[in-house]
This record gives sequence, C-alpha cells and structure tokens, in this order.
Amino acid sequence: MTEQALNRHQQHRSKPWGKQVLAALLKRHSARIGLIWIGILVVIATFSPFLASSHPLYMLVDGKVSSPLLAHLSAQDWVWLAAFIFTVLLAKWSRPFWQKLLLWLGLVAVSAVVANTLASPPTLIIYEQYREMQAAGELDQVIYAPIPYSAKDYLRDYANTGVEAPLEATERTHWFGTDENGADVASRMIHASRIALGIGFIATGIALVIGTIIGGLMGYFSGIVDIIGMRLVEIFEAIPTLFLLLSFVAFFGRSIYMMMVIIGITAWSGYARYVRAEFLKLRQQDFVQAAVACGLPLRSILFRHMLPNGLAPLLVATSFGVASAILAEATLSFLGLGLIDDPSWGQLLNQAVQSSTFNWWLAVFPGGAIFMTVFAYNLLGEALRDAVDPHTNRSRRA
Amino acid sequence: MLNYLLRRLLLMVPTLLGITLVVFVVMAAAPGGISAQTLVDGMELEPQSRKALEDYYNKLYGLDQPAPVQYFRWLNNISPIGFERNVDGTLGSFSLWKGSDLGTSFRYGRDVTDLLAERLPITLLLNLISIPLIYALAIGIGVQAARDRGGRFDVSSNIFLLGLWSVPSMLAGVLFIGFFASEQYWRWFPTGGLMRRETASETFLPLFASFSDVLIAAACVAVLTLIFMQLLSRLSTSNRRWLGVLMGAGLGYLMALNLYGHWFGMLHIALMFLFAILMRSLFGLQNLPLRLAIAGSLGLGLGLAVAAQLGVSFLQNGYLLDRIWHLVLPIIALSYGGLAFLAKLTRSSLLENLAADYARTARAKGVDEESVLWRHVFRNSLLPLITVSATLLPSLLAGSVIIESIFSIDGMGKLAVEAVQTRDRELVLSVTLISGLLTLFGYLLADIAYAIVDPRVSYD
Repeated sequence: MTEQALNRHQQHRSKPWGKQVLAALLKRHSARIGLIWIGILVVIATFSPFLASSHPLYMLVDGKVSSPLLAHLSAQDWVWLAAFIFTVLLAKWSRPFWQKLLLWLGLVAVSAVVANTLASPPTLIIYEQYREMQAAGELDQVIYAPIPYSAKDYLRDYANTGVEAPLEATERTHWFGTDENGADVASRMIHASRIALGIGFIATGIALVIGTIIGGLMGYFSGIVDIIGMRLVEIFEAIPTLFLLLSFVAFFGRSIYMMMVIIGITAWSGYARYVRAEFLKLRQQDFVQAAVACGLPLRSILFRHMLPNGLAPLLVATSFGVASAILAEATLSFLGLGLIDDPSWGQLLNQAVQSSTFNWWLAVFPGGAIFMTVFAYNLLGEALRDAVDPHTNRSRRA
Repeated sequence: MLNYLLRRLLLMVPTLLGITLVVFVVMAAAPGGISAQTLVDGMELEPQSRKALEDYYNKLYGLDQPAPVQYFRWLNNISPIGFERNVDGTLGSFSLWKGSDLGTSFRYGRDVTDLLAERLPITLLLNLISIPLIYALAIGIGVQAARDRGGRFDVSSNIFLLGLWSVPSMLAGVLFIGFFASEQYWRWFPTGGLMRRETASETFLPLFASFSDVLIAAACVAVLTLIFMQLLSRLSTSNRRWLGVLMGAGLGYLMALNLYGHWFGMLHIALMFLFAILMRSLFGLQNLPLRLAIAGSLGLGLGLAVAAQLGVSFLQNGYLLDRIWHLVLPIIALSYGGLAFLAKLTRSSLLENLAADYARTARAKGVDEESVLWRHVFRNSLLPLITVSATLLPSLLAGSVIIESIFSIDGMGKLAVEAVQTRDRELVLSVTLISGLLTLFGYLLADIAYAIVDPRVSYD
C-alpha cells in the first residue's frame, strides 16, 4: 500500500462522528434553511443597536465629531458583540468542540465582567434630543442607523402617537407601524430577537444540564435511584408546563434571567428520559465496565465515557427544545406575564387585539418572527433526527 | 390486570402529592409570598377592621402558621380521609369519610369546588371535541402521505405539517379573531364567549319559519352534496383539479366582494389565486374518503348558503347552532398543532410497518396492497398513536389556557391564568391538582388501551 493510499484510508476512517453528522445535516435543504434563518437572527441580535437606534451613529456639531450611538452602548451590547467575535474567531480553530465551548464560555464570562465595570452609558436617555437638534439646524452632518428609532423611543416629541399602521404617518417612516405606546415595531422586533435567542439557548442549556445529570444518574445506578427519579420526572411531566411556568413567573418577579432559569427548570424531564434510556442501554457494555474497573471517578464514567455515546437523541431533542423554549417565552409575554418594558415578540402580538380594533401589523410581523424562528429550529431538529439515525441512512443508501 | 390497575392507582398518589408540593413550594418560597396582609392590601379599611379581617383570613386559611403546617393543613382538607375540621379552625376527630374540601377562593370568595364544577366542563368540552377531530384528520392525512412515499403529496404535506406544527397557537388565535371575527374584516364568527345571551331562552335545534323552509334547505344541501360527491368520485384527477381551480377562484372572488364591496381589485385577484391553489390541491387528493369528506362539507356549506339566498331563514338559531358557531374558531386554533404532530407520527409509523417483514410476507402471498395497508399494517401502526394520546391531553390542556384567554371562554385555563395573576393559592393548587389528575388518568387510559390493542402487551 502506498503512503498516499494509506493516508486516504486513514482520512476516510478518522472522520469524527460530529463531522459526519454535520456533513449529513448540511446535505439537507431544510437544515440549511433553518441554519440560515438562525444565522440571520444571530447577526440581527448582535448588531441590533447599530440597526435600530434613535442615537446617530455619527454626528458633527460645531466642528466636533461624536457618536452618541457608541456612547450609549450598554454592557449587554458589548457582551453580545464580544461573544459574536469570539464565536467567529474560535470557529476556525482546530480543537475538540468541548474545549472550544469551555474557552468560549470563559471568554464571554470575562468580557461580561469587563463590560460591566467599564461600560457606563448615560442613565438618563433623551431619545428625541437629536431630532430636535436637527429640526433646529444644529447638526451639521449626521448619519442615523437604518431604523432611526430605539426600542423604547415612544416618540414623545410627536404629539399624538399611538397605534399607527405601516407607513401611515407622513413625516416619519415606520416600516412595520408603531405599537400602542408609539414605539417603532420594527425596532422593537429587532431588539426582541436577543430575548428570543438568549432564552432559547440558555433555558435549553439549563434544562440540558439538569436533565443529563438526573437522567445519567438514573440510568447508571438504576434500581432505587431510578424509581425515585422516574417519579420526579413523572411529577414534572404531569403538571402542565404552562401552569407551572405561570405560577413561577407570577410568584417570582419578571426578570429575563429568572425567566431563563424557570423555563429551564420546567423543561428538563424530557432530556432526563432520553439520557436515562441511553445510559440503561450503555451501562452493561464492555467499555463502561472497563472504565469502572479502572477505578475512574463517577464524573468521568458518566460524562467522558458514556455521554458521548448517548448523545444522538439528546441532540435532536435539544433542537426541538430550543423551539419550545422560545415559544414558552412568547406565550408568557402574550399572557401579560413577560418582561415589563423590554421588547418581546409575544408582547407585541398581544397588542394586536388589545385595543378595540385589530391591528394586523402587530399580529403578522411579530407573530411571523416567532413562527419563522420556531419553524427554523423544528426544521433543524427534523433534519438532525434523520442525520443521526443510522436506520434512515441505511435505507437512503439502499 | 386488576392488580396492575390497583398498583397504578396507588402510584398516582405520591405523584399527585409531588405535584402539589412543587406548586406549594413555589408559592411559599416566592418573595412576598401569600399572607393575610397581602390579601387585605389594597382595601380601604379602618385599622380595627383590617386587623379583624386579617385574623379572619389567618383562621380560615391558617396563613400565620409556618409553610409546612399550611401544606399539611391543605392536604388534610382535600383528602377524604383525615381529621375533621371544627368551625373555629381547630382539628377534630379522625374520620374515614369526612369528604374533601378544596377550600375557598381568595379572589372570588366562593368554594373552589363550585368554581371548578362550572369551569371544568367547558375545558373538557373543548378538548373532547378536539381529540376525535385530531385523530380522524391526522390518520387520513398520515395514511395518504405514507402511501405516496416520496411523492409530491408526501413531500409537500411533510413541510406543510412541520410548518403548521410551528405556528404558535396564540398567533393563529389572534389572526382568526382579527380576520374572521372583527368588524374590520370578515365578521363571520363571534369574537369570544361560548353563547349569545339570547340563546339561553331558545330551543335546542334551529327553528324554521315554516315546514317548507326545512324541506328547501334539506333539498339544497342534499342535492349539492350529491353533486359534489359524484363529481369528486367520478372525474379524473386533472378534471378535478380544473374544477377545484374554478371553484376556488369563485369562492375567493365572493369573499373579496363580501369584504370590499367593489367589483375588482388587486386583493380580489390575490384571494382568487390563493383559493384556486387551495381548492386545486384539495380536489386533487388521491384519497377517496378524504375527498368525500371535503365534498360533504362543501355541500353542507354551499347548500345552506343557497337556501339562504332562496329566502329560507331561521326563526331562532337555537342552542346547538349557536354553540357550534362559537366553537369553530377555538376548536381549529386548539387542534391544528396536535393534528400536525399526529399526522407526521402516523406517517412514520405506517412507513416503518409497511417495510416490515410481515407486510412483505403478506404481499408475497398475493394480498393486494389495500388489504396489506388496512388489515395488516394499519392496526400495528396504531400503537405509537395510542402512546402519544397520553401526552396529547396535557398539551391540549395547556393549549386551552391560551385559547381560552384569546377567545374569552370561561374555562379552566382562563381560571388558571386569573388565579395565578391574583395569587389565589387555593385555586392555583386545585387547578394544578385537577389537571395533574387528568393527565395521570390520560397516561393510565393510554396504557390500558395499549394492552387491549396489542395482545403481546401484558401487565401481569
């Protein structure tokens, strides 16, 4: 055998499972569409202050150049930007995925601390000052963001603002209309994409961690641990999740972090079931017995040896889980139990039928955004299920 | 079997305890929590009467006691076996038959049992109509998709169903209300509630002005239904499609005319186009029972419309018609998600069984494909559908929370939202208990049905 052939042979064999799944995934149109939409959403969420803001990106007053937009960036904005840059930088680095993930989490945590100590946006925000300065002719040069309205800019300088249909006002352009407070819907939707994405990822992450640990212990130890664990799973499955979410949110304030934790706590039972089923299958296998015989600590047996072999169903469930977490947040906001002043798609949708008239733009655009995002994750989950399932692959080839 | 049933029923008790415990802990651990002060808060009262009211609440609900004591107190109240409670709030003697008491709602000041007895039937009505509807349609679509594996219907229905599954039910509800119930667009359905006030004094069935009107209406419906059934069962696929295009365009035009009044415009074309495509795909279905169902509903709708044009009118709409009229939008909004999920499940389950060895054996024996599908494969494919039926009920219960809030139907879901928002402890606990109980019974029923359908499954 020549060296080249040997090389090719090795390359063929050594392709890791993750890469195989990714390649199988990218072959499917549905997965590509889903990933593209999620990608667009990530970009919009990261650059939302640059896309929609009342503060000019650049302005020239009395020969002095300033950028109120950059000055008004909050710590959260900086963290999003930093996280985006780290993701792009780490994507090309050839290291195992979990190493990159840990490094990414560490970098984001560091940047969160740095941003919170360094960033000090003005606490008193006057959105209309630039429009007034422009009207008075004080601005020599000015460049606004594509949508020149912030999410919480209620257009106080215009007399009678309220619900307006798209492009109804003559002196301003609101592509998607305004909501009942007079804020621009497009701007609110852009800023709300952060909440949707953040809730989706973090709530599912929390659920995944809880579910994996409980399910892993149940599957590995079986017996009495399993019986008690299954009762716990049953309890959380028998309470309609929405009731539990409602009582959690109503009794513990309404902050976004609380909401992530709550959605995570109520969603873990499904993952626990999957991990338990996989671990029950795996626990008798030779490699696990070998690991036990080596005297490895439980942590190592469970998470380094067993978990990677039981990852497939978890991966699929995660994708569907993100969709349902986003849906849960939208539902809570819709029922009036979401965040109070911060923009959210569900809360905009709620306003569509709140007043005596039906405002279609408040239903179609935010509702469409929720639908598209949930649909994207469901498409991805569906494609992932086909990609990780050896059964479908075999029948596809045959 | 009896043994198994008893064991399952006994196992329900700790689960139910756990459910209430979780909810109770959430409420007790909440900052601010629930105390006599929060209940009295907001009322304009003299200090003495405020104190008196607080004392009254403390005695009634035991709110001044530590949380575990409150929980056991509540448990003792709801369980039929326990200590009797005296009028002054102290515990009496132990009794096996004291009856359970779900307590009094903070907000309504009424017995929770009464409230639930009022609200629960409405939610159950919504769900019990939805479930058979979901199953019938889902099996129809799933069978059709599985038969046409890899074909156009299969691929397009797969994407369509996944999309349908992703539509949030609040979006569907809001759009339904906005477009089909508001003054601005088609005002075909009521915006909310379950009946008009006048209906309470009306007859059950619709009342016609004269007997000849009944005959005319019945004749219109019968003739049109028969014509549609004949057309949809006899014509070739391409002719059916053309018929669908024509009918869809006509319906779309009428709908636009109904809304805008003037004769022609861009929206007329858009609606005509939309309906033409919809009707073309419906009429082009390869499944005869599905087509006959479409023909039947078209005949019913158009027949009644024609009869109305001929001067037939109802003296009274009657209770039944009014109830159906109010239920159409909520039921659709409640059931489409489950429908999409079940149809996909039916398809994959059928495909798995169609490729199984026993199906191949049947084909090799010379059994025709229809018999293989219905007599051999279909029964085996029902198993996952039965398993899923257990999870269908909880998801419908959760869905009815949203649907009832949107359509302002006074069911248990709306009660739950109100109870949670006003921190009505007794009500929240009872609603959770009831829905948990319903869910667990759903699981149990599914397991029993599983054993009945599949003789290989035995629980002894």
